[in-house]
Amino acid sequence: MELDFLATLLLSSLSSAAILLIATVGLAVMFGLMGVINLAHGEFIMFGAYATLFATQIGIPYPLAIIFATIVTAIFGGIVELLIIRRLYGRIFDTLLATWGLSLVLYQSAVLIFGTVTPGIGLPISNIQIGDYSLSVYLLFLILVAVVLIGSLYWLLTKTSYGITARAAIQDRETASAVGVESARINTMTFALGSGLAGFAGAILLPAIPATPNMGFAFVIKAFLAVVAAGPVTLTGTVAVGSTLGMVGNITASFWTSVVGDIVFFLLTITILRIFPLGISGRWRMKL
Amino acid sequence: MLQISNANGGYKRVTIIRDCSLRVGKGEIVALLGRNGAGKSTLMKYTMGLVDTFGGSVSIHGNTLPLSTSKRVKMGLGYVPQGRYVFPRLSVPENIAVAALACGHDRHESIDDAFNDFPILAEKKDALAGTLSGGQQQILSIARALATKPQVLLLDEPTEGVQPSIIEEIGEKLKRLNEERGLSILIAEQNLDFCLSISKRAYILNNGSISHETTRQELIQNKTILHELLGV
Repeated sequence: MELDFLATLLLSSLSSAAILLIATVGLAVMFGLMGVINLAHGEFIMFGAYATLFATQIGIPYPLAIIFATIVTAIFGGIVELLIIRRLYGRIFDTLLATWGLSLVLYQSAVLIFGTVTPGIGLPISNIQIGDYSLSVYLLFLILVAVVLIGSLYWLLTKTSYGITARAAIQDRETASAVGVESARINTMTFALGSGLAGFAGAILLPAIPATPNMGFAFVIKAFLAVVAAGPVTLTGTVAVGSTLGMVGNITASFWTSVVGDIVFFLLTITILRIFPLGISGRWRMKL
Repeated sequence: MLQISNANGGYKRVTIIRDCSLRVGKGEIVALLGRNGAGKSTLMKYTMGLVDTFGGSVSIHGNTLPLSTSKRVKMGLGYVPQGRYVFPRLSVPENIAVAALACGHDRHESIDDAFNDFPILAEKKDALAGTLSGGQQQILSIARALATKPQVLLLDEPTEGVQPSIIEEIGEKLKRLNEERGLSILIAEQNLDFCLSISKRAYILNNGSISHETTRQELIQNKTILHELLGV
C-alpha cells in the first residue's frame, strides 16, 4: 500500500466522519438536551438546503445564504416546538409519531413545491492532488467546519448563560424550575438551536450533497444511531461514536462497496449497544 | 412574611394535605415536624407550586403568589429539596450559576458569594456536583437556593443522610444567615434535636393536617406532644 493512498484514505474518511457529525449534532442537541427524538431531523436538513438554494437563486452570496438558512430553519424549529413538541414532553412515542408525521408533510411539500430534481448550487469544485489520487478541497474544508462547529457548540453549552441553564433544565426539569428557571422558554430555544444546526448542515453540505426532497433519509438513520450509541454525555459521546462510525464505514466502503460500508456501520452500532446498553458514555463523568 | 392559608394539595386527584395554614414571620426560623408520611414534603412542594393545588394560597408580604414555581422563586421563595437534587453533570459553580442567572443576578458575583459563605465549595470548584459526598451536595443545594436571593428559605429534611459534623455546620450557617441577613427559614425535619437547636417555633403535621402549633419550650417540656410526634 502506498503512502499517498493511505493519506487519501485517511482524509476522505475524516471528511465523511465530518459530514456525519455536521448532520448529527442538531439531533444530538435535541435528543441529548431535551430527550426529544426528532424523526423530522432529516427534513430539517432538507429545509436548510432548500432555504440556501432559494437564497442563492435570489442573488445572496453562498456564505450569507448559509447564515440565512440556519436562521430560517431555527425559527421554523421554534414554531414547531411551540405548536407541536411543547405538548408532548415526556411522551416519547407520541413525539416519535408527531415528528414522523411532520417529516412526511415536509417531504411531500418539498416534492410538490420543488419536484424531485433540483439544480445544484454551481459552486466551482477544485481538487488537490495527493500523489496519484485527488481529493475535493471542499470535502477537506468540511473537516475544519466540523471541528469549529463542535468547538463552538461546546463553548455555547458550557460557558454561556443559555448553555448552563439548558443543561440544568434537561438534567432535572422540576429542580430547575425550583431555582427559577423557566423551562418552557429554554426548551423552545434549545429546539430552535437543534433545528438551526440541521439547517446549517443542509446549507454547508449543499455543494457536496444536492438538495432533493429525500436527502434527509440518508442522514437521519445514521445520525439517530450515532446519537443513541453515544449515550448521556451527548456532545463528546456523539463526536467519539460519530467519527469512529463515519471513518470505519468509509474505509470499508472504499475497499469494497458503499453497501458493505453501511452494513459495517450498522453492525458496529449494534455491537456498541450490546456492550454499552446506555451508550458508550453511560459511565463517563463529563459535562457534555 | 410567608403565609400559607388553607392549603389543599396532592397529586392528580389524591389529596395529601388538607387545610394546612402556617405563618413564618420576618427573620424567624420555624420548624415543620411530623412522622414519615405525614405530608411534610408535600406541604413544602405545595408552597413551591410543585404539586397540584386544590385550594388555598401562599403569600409573601401579603402578595398572593402565582402557581408557577419559577415565578414563586423570583418572588422570594428559596427551596432546598429533600434528597438535595443538585444537577449532577453540572460543575459546582455551574449549579450556583443556574440559580443566579434564572433570577437575574450576576453569576460570577453569586459564585464568589457562595464560596465565601461555604469555603468547602470553593475547594470543589472543578468537580461535577454528582461526584460530591451527600453532605457536600446538601451544602451545594443550600448555596444554590441562596443564589436566588430568597426572602424565605424552605429546607426539606436537610439533615437526611448527612454526617453529624456537617449537620452541625449547616445548623450554624443557617443560624448566622438568619441573624446577619434576617433570612426567614422554614425547615421540614424528622431530626428533632436539629430543629430544637435552631428554631423557636414549630408546627406539627399529622396525617396531612397541622395538629399543633408549638414552641421550643413547650416541646422540651410537654412529653405528650413529643410522644405524638415521634410515637409509632
